[in-house]
Amino acid sequence: MRKRCVILFMTILPVFVFAGCKGKSSAHDSNEMVLHQMLNSKIKCLDPVLIQDEYSMNVCNHMFETLYQYHYLKRPYQLVPLLADGMPEFSGDGLTCTVRIKKGIRFQDDKCFPNGKGREFKSSDFAYGVRRTADVKSLSPNWAVIENKIAGLDEFREYTKTCKTAADVNYSRSIEGLLTPDDYTIIIKLKRPWPQLVDNLMVDVRNAPMAKEAVDYYGKDIIAHPVGTGPFILKNWERASYIELVRNPNFRGEPYPTEGDPGDKEAGLLDDAGKTMPFADKVVWTIIEEDQPSWLLFMQGKIDARAIPKDSWNEAMTATNDLTPKMKQLEIRLYAFKDPSTFYLGFNMLDPVLSKNKPLRQAINHAIDRETFIKLFFNNTYDIAYGVIPPVLASYNPDIKNRGYSDYDPNKSKELLVEAEKIQGGKIPPLKIAMQGTDTFYRQYGSFVQRQLEVIGLNVEVEYMDWPTFQEKENKRQHQIFAGGGGAGIPDAQDSLSEYYSKYWSPGVNHFNYKNPEFDRLYEQTEVMMDSPERTKLYQKMELIVLEDCPAAFLDHRVRYVLVHDWNKNYKPDIFGYGLSKYYKVDLKKRAEYPELLNKVKD
Amino acid sequence: MTENTRELKPPKGVSFWQDGLHRLFRRPIAIVCLIVILLYFFLAAFIYLAEFFHWQIGPAIWSQATGPSYQQPCMQNILGTDIFGQSVLRKMLYGAKISITVAFSASLISIAIGLPLGAVAGYFRGIVDEIVVWIYSTLSSVPYILLILAFAVVLHDKTIAGIKLAGITSVYLAIGLTSWVDLCRLIRGEVIKHKEREYIIAAKSYGCSNSRIIFKHLLPNVFHIVIIIFSLQFVSFIHAEIILSFLGLGEANRPSWGAMINDARIELARGVWWQMVAATVAVFFISLALNIFGDALRDSLDPKLRVQ
Repeated sequence: MRKRCVILFMTILPVFVFAGCKGKSSAHDSNEMVLHQMLNSKIKCLDPVLIQDEYSMNVCNHMFETLYQYHYLKRPYQLVPLLADGMPEFSGDGLTCTVRIKKGIRFQDDKCFPNGKGREFKSSDFAYGVRRTADVKSLSPNWAVIENKIAGLDEFREYTKTCKTAADVNYSRSIEGLLTPDDYTIIIKLKRPWPQLVDNLMVDVRNAPMAKEAVDYYGKDIIAHPVGTGPFILKNWERASYIELVRNPNFRGEPYPTEGDPGDKEAGLLDDAGKTMPFADKVVWTIIEEDQPSWLLFMQGKIDARAIPKDSWNEAMTATNDLTPKMKQLEIRLYAFKDPSTFYLGFNMLDPVLSKNKPLRQAINHAIDRETFIKLFFNNTYDIAYGVIPPVLASYNPDIKNRGYSDYDPNKSKELLVEAEKIQGGKIPPLKIAMQGTDTFYRQYGSFVQRQLEVIGLNVEVEYMDWPTFQEKENKRQHQIFAGGGGAGIPDAQDSLSEYYSKYWSPGVNHFNYKNPEFDRLYEQTEVMMDSPERTKLYQKMELIVLEDCPAAFLDHRVRYVLVHDWNKNYKPDIFGYGLSKYYKVDLKKRAEYPELLNKVKD
Repeated sequence: MTENTRELKPPKGVSFWQDGLHRLFRRPIAIVCLIVILLYFFLAAFIYLAEFFHWQIGPAIWSQATGPSYQQPCMQNILGTDIFGQSVLRKMLYGAKISITVAFSASLISIAIGLPLGAVAGYFRGIVDEIVVWIYSTLSSVPYILLILAFAVVLHDKTIAGIKLAGITSVYLAIGLTSWVDLCRLIRGEVIKHKEREYIIAAKSYGCSNSRIIFKHLLPNVFHIVIIIFSLQFVSFIHAEIILSFLGLGEANRPSWGAMINDARIELARGVWWQMVAATVAVFFISLALNIFGDALRDSLDPKLRVQ
């Protein structure tokens, strides 16, 4: 027995020894500036062309750069050059866009390059990134954004379909609308004006420039070997637990903004104006899917910033939506800001019961008590959604709330239901609502909706499913009613309204499978219009068409409440920006003193 | 002479079952546990009746709000309320119906598979035995909970032969289809032992058919194993249902103890402890009662373990 114990001990010992070694190597010295952040979901891939989620976009934006970015401090959001040298030049007809790129920008050192030294970034790297998105062999989920926009690109995609393997695709094949006359110039020729060209193609990391050498060298493993020009490079990626980035020694250095909004200077956001970024030596994201452990880590000072979890609200906030005295004593700062998102209960307009029965859809719409919903699930912090366009966007119609489309009125619902039953020719059959999760939130959400609809006499069955199943059913147009929603990716309501355009039916973004010829006509009209009061008016008109047809019961717009430890400097909420760690700075002394402060406050 | 004859009269025979029950009823704790178990069963039966006849009382109307959201335990709501102001006490009582239904149905499925397979394998031996042993060895090589989870995921919301496996149906099917191995193995062993006994040889010599021997002679003599396994597995089935509900694979539209524990896990952060306490207390009493009663039953019915 003793012998067995010794053998067991000798077997296990090296595990502890090596675990200890790893811990030591990953530890940092006290002068190293490390940003401790968190992700509540695993990262799926670090190849821009395959990105489908915000978490991956955020991490990738630290390593890959785009031609333009949004100004970190100025609101409304303004485009500023990143890899580009100056703003894009458009021809008079808006069909040709010329972008010049900065000289001397280098890719990170990587073994995919000769001698492992990162080469200079060229215009062809941008064209390569766009070609990859178009290449059907890349399986990019982001093709729809650039489909039918750039001259010759769709033909290139068709050509890639004829290639047997990915290796057979000739990336040097010329594309009429994607030209690189020299190493520092990009010319894009459009089929028709595309006002969102810069936002969608030159800011979005999913179309970020790529080094062809990296893709050729790593092959399928490119998803775990990001090679970019950004301020950070990947050091470690433990898929289920953490991601660690360190400074890119080849990074040229980018100056911190010297201008901001009124109040930014007083808030200390211009203290580092003109200084070279990034400030941090390392960025570490810990992946914690459960709210409670990540909240406890935040409270212990092991995470720099965190949104307040629903069930820890009372610990952080008072009844008047102010920080609790404890949070103030811990010198934690609160940032509350609106999110360009809209959440709803969507109706499948191809469903035989719902599609021909507008009173039924309206009955459901008026049966939902949005105020109670927001009170129960979001601690009374979210905004009621009165329409499609989120209030944070410039084209939001402030008058929309007076139109009454989101009013809670069970009596009206009951009247509408009587009308609906006449159209149905009898009692409404049991309705099915699909929820995109099986966790407590979605079960309670489903239960809430079920209860609300039962009040007006509707029989509802809630189906809880995991996200891939939900998506699959959504793409196959199999849901009857579904809980959905999401955020706009660019500061333009066109992104939100595209969800109602009939050419984008599922598996496109129009999961309602909604069609209104007048809406389609206006959508096509605004698609080529530059930002103007006329376009805003048309957006608002389109929103009213949607609300009148009622393809969804709009519920809420998200409002984020983020807590930030006082040592985290230069933090400003940025709803469209990714890869923001380059702006952040840590007061190491304050961070080191936090445990003492925490003990004092506990006492 | 007459008196002597009376004295020599053999004592009245006691059957195996009478003897077992006699031994069982001499254990006061086992009786208390049986009463607790019966209370849970009666509660489940009562909820079925209340739902069938639309009685507007107690746990049958668990979905009605009885107070404000997250009300602490008070006179009006002894175990407080949940997010929608529903009585936690009513939900806890309703949870008994889900757990008992799942455990009972899963037990029946498990017996329906394990008993005939074990009997046939033990009786016929040869290739039949090898196939059965191969199947149950394969199944038992996969960790129990993982196997149930896999079955539950596969069966969840699937439609088989026109019947949709929604809610608890997929749960008890998943549990029942994966948990017949122990019973099958024990029955097989017992049948192998019994088939060499004189009464089976006698039945064979009378020309009884195999099915008659198995179902008429063998199974009644090994049935005490089914009862013991039933009582011992029942509690593990309740736990499996709770785990599946906790993981979101169980009953979603009605209260269950697993779902209550899952909700409470997050709600604890906001100081809402009563839902967790209610569900765990309910699970504690049925688990304890079933464990003690199951042990007592085994001790009473298993000839090898019979103790006073």
